[in-house]
Amino acid sequence: MTASRRQLLLGGAAASLALARPAAAAEPSAVEQLERLLVLERRLEHAYDTALARGAIEPELGDTLLAHEREHVRGLEQALRGLGRREPRAGAPPPEAGAAFESRRAFARYALDLEDRTVRAYEQVLATLRAERLLQPLGSIMASGAQHMVALRQVAGDDLLGVP
Amino acid sequence: MAAVTLASCGGGDPPPSDRPQAGSGAGLLNSIVALENAGIAAWAAIGEALSGEGRRYARAIREREIEHAERLGELVRGLGGTPPTRRSAAEYASLFPRMRGESDALHFAGDLEERLVRAYLDALRSLPHSDQRRAAAEIAAEEAEDLAVVHLLAGGPAAPQPFVTGTL
Repeated sequence: MTASRRQLLLGGAAASLALARPAAAAEPSAVEQLERLLVLERRLEHAYDTALARGAIEPELGDTLLAHEREHVRGLEQALRGLGRREPRAGAPPPEAGAAFESRRAFARYALDLEDRTVRAYEQVLATLRAERLLQPLGSIMASGAQHMVALRQVAGDDLLGVP
Repeated sequence: MAAVTLASCGGGDPPPSDRPQAGSGAGLLNSIVALENAGIAAWAAIGEALSGEGRRYARAIREREIEHAERLGELVRGLGGTPPTRRSAAEYASLFPRMRGESDALHFAGDLEERLVRAYLDALRSLPHSDQRRAAAEIAAEEAEDLAVVHLLAGGPAAPQPFVTGTL
């Protein structure tokens, strides 16, 4: 695949999130589901930001994962605006546990747990969300989170597929 | 008893059928089972071209593809359908690119996993039932993981993009 075609596809995923407007009026359940995902994505964003500041993640990997989380947050906020939510609500991330940042391996395990919970939340939302145009772009974010898990397992020294 | 009576009289119910109804999702699920069946054969061939960790992961990923095909096959059977059976390795082999070494094998593996990710993400919009969509989402996440492992085996970053769309 050429770089330009890939960029077009990736750009399309982000644009789909921004433009997705279901034919029906905004459904509270859809908004609530997206806000739940937004809370989780902001928590990941905060975790990577903190880890970078404390040296708890290798800088290149941390920069990449943080940039991805910011894209995910931006996409979810745009999707929520498309559903009629002007000011997307998502609670402030909780204070991060200090022990999680004591070493790069410890942080990898901590972030792996957060990513896993987030991927499972996407799976649940994708099974029930009625805003059909959002399914594919949300799925592309979930798939990115699944790849983050592989990157973090490598840092943690685990099997890449999570096989015990 | 009432249901038995209605059925014996015709009762307005559709006639018994051994085929799933149109729009049930069975057709789409079967098309993905066929793709997974090809994937199972492909990962066997890819594993033969790899060594060490690469071969070990090829085997593990092939096992996951078998589980995916079985899970989707169960959904198809639950709809009254019959999932496609796997063809012989020789039949699939003629469809695969020639692999001259590990680089070719990983390139093929990447293309295969991109296609599988895309198939599941596309299916999310078309599958009518939540259990079907749940299965598609869970398997899509695993295919994305498999793709990340291929990236690492090829010497790249596991997660290069913020949106993993797969390719056709």
